[in-house]
Amino acid sequence: MSQAELLAADTGLAPTIREPRFGGLTIFAACVVGIMLVLAVIGPSIAPYNPSASAFAQYIPPPAIGAIPHLLWNMVRGVGPMPHWFGTDASGFDVFSRVISAPRVDLVIAVLANGFALLLGVPIGLIAGYFRNPATEIMMRVSDVVQSFPVFISAMILVALAGQSVVNLVIALAILYAPIYVRLTRSEVMSQKVRGMVEASRAIGLSEMAIAVRHVLPNSLGPTLVQSSVTIGFAILLTAGLSFVGAGVRPPAAEWGLMIATGANDMVLGQWWASVFPGIAISLTVFSFAVLGEMLERHYRN
Amino acid sequence: MIYRYILRRLGISVLQLLGLVIAVFFLIRMLPADPVARLVGMNASPAAYAQAAHSLGLDQPILIQFLRYFGLGHPAHGLLEGYLGVSWVTNTPVLTEMGQMLPVTFQLLGLSFLVTLLIAVPVGIISARRPGGIVDKAVFAYGLFGGSQPEFWWGLLFVFVFFFKLGVAPAPLGLVDPMLDSPPTITGFILIDSLITGEFDVFVDVLYHLMLPVLTLVFILSGPIMKMVRQNMIRALQSDFILYGQAAGLSQGMITRYAFRAALAPSMTLVGILFGVMLGGAVLVESVFSLGGIGQYAVRSVLAFDYPAIQGVVLVITGLSLIIYLVLDILYAAIDPRVTHS
Repeated sequence: MSQAELLAADTGLAPTIREPRFGGLTIFAACVVGIMLVLAVIGPSIAPYNPSASAFAQYIPPPAIGAIPHLLWNMVRGVGPMPHWFGTDASGFDVFSRVISAPRVDLVIAVLANGFALLLGVPIGLIAGYFRNPATEIMMRVSDVVQSFPVFISAMILVALAGQSVVNLVIALAILYAPIYVRLTRSEVMSQKVRGMVEASRAIGLSEMAIAVRHVLPNSLGPTLVQSSVTIGFAILLTAGLSFVGAGVRPPAAEWGLMIATGANDMVLGQWWASVFPGIAISLTVFSFAVLGEMLERHYRN
Repeated sequence: MIYRYILRRLGISVLQLLGLVIAVFFLIRMLPADPVARLVGMNASPAAYAQAAHSLGLDQPILIQFLRYFGLGHPAHGLLEGYLGVSWVTNTPVLTEMGQMLPVTFQLLGLSFLVTLLIAVPVGIISARRPGGIVDKAVFAYGLFGGSQPEFWWGLLFVFVFFFKLGVAPAPLGLVDPMLDSPPTITGFILIDSLITGEFDVFVDVLYHLMLPVLTLVFILSGPIMKMVRQNMIRALQSDFILYGQAAGLSQGMITRYAFRAALAPSMTLVGILFGVMLGGAVLVESVFSLGGIGQYAVRSVLAFDYPAIQGVVLVITGLSLIIYLVLDILYAAIDPRVTHS
């Protein structure tokens, strides 16, 4: 070994440092995500009140902690009216029903947006990474321009000008998140296509397209799947933020960001419940997606 | 060598900005929004509608509109001269309006990043000294947590606790008490202007009003920055020159100092990128506290379909972030000459 080589590479003698383990946290995160996914399916059906119809009783505070066992007991016996567990907001909507119905909107938007971003970004990344020519270079530059947009403001523009609907939200988020997948897939494809299996496939006479799709692509999907968990979390945050400034879904849809916005003024006056509960839901959900993303990434790296 | 590198990077940035101008201009006009109807109202007569469309120049073919905006058409007064057009809603030049909004956002972000760095860098370093320890675990979990939170909700929560419950913070209604006389505009940064003119009551009042917005941003930003400092420190601590230092018997303090120096460059790059992202990402915090920054200007323009203002906001924010990235790349290249050769 020459002296230059010795200098170039780290000896690897320094102790490698292991990341802290978070078994408990991962299980917690998986549970939260699981519950939210279930709520996205059955939330609106199990809600005690109609999530977008007024119960005609405004600003009912949530029950005191001490009163909860009694209310639960009444509920089991089927006595008395259904309690408003999280209170009611300025329009008399039952906050609890809205919080558990919102995953139907938030999670569906986030998961679909991520799915379409994958559908859009992965093929472009595959082609750009596998066939490198002027055309794919231009594709990369276009992707760069999209990625240099300020995300929140661009999403606001796309959704507000295209019309504030769930479909337009999904399309806007998919366009803005696709470049991440273009980059990830491209760099992974570039590291995969020099492997021996590609050479071998070529030797047995497979077409380039077949090699790219059948052999390089499946080996390049790892990082994109890891990224999906993170992207879904951020898409939930973005959806909620857009609704908060009035550029997302329209009232009276049950959506967490919208609920926080409707309760914002009351919060300053001390009526906290309309904003606090949906906020806790977003906070836990997005955090859980981030934890799962982190753990998946570690798993993938090792 | 470094000059060629700078020139090339500069060229790429200009091209990127050009691509952005074109993309934004045509994208906005491709979307099915009707800005004329929004301006004149739904019940306007067809004549009034046509009149408004004409005065906005929207009756022209789209390519002519673009050339005009760009400054190549007639009248030739456009982007090439740094002219961003007039807001359709206020009739004020977009650049003038943004000149008033940008300093607000810069002050908010500047203070927030300063406080964040003062907290996050030492904590990140400490957690990297004993990976897997209690501090490290807490920092790691917080890093994931802070970076994935709805900042507008935390802002409201802080308002509830510190304004409504404790009464130690002002109501979230702006940057300065309207009863106070604002200092004359010199730099546009009210914190600096009030110091220059000696109006210390205004200075203190602005800081008082920025307390909760800064707290909110610090709470959010600390997460990713701590995580990143920790990661870079750990990477530096694992390198051979640190191993050699340890073998040579350097003290823990010395080792930390050397490792920190190695971790600094990559960390600064990420902080700069985060700053660029936050220029457009402070929208929600500005809205919660009604600070009147560039983000709120963006919201107002988008909801009013004010095309020149929308284009201006996107261009200025992206332009500023490109400048930040450029400066960072150049600094990085100056520190680490290997960059220019690849």
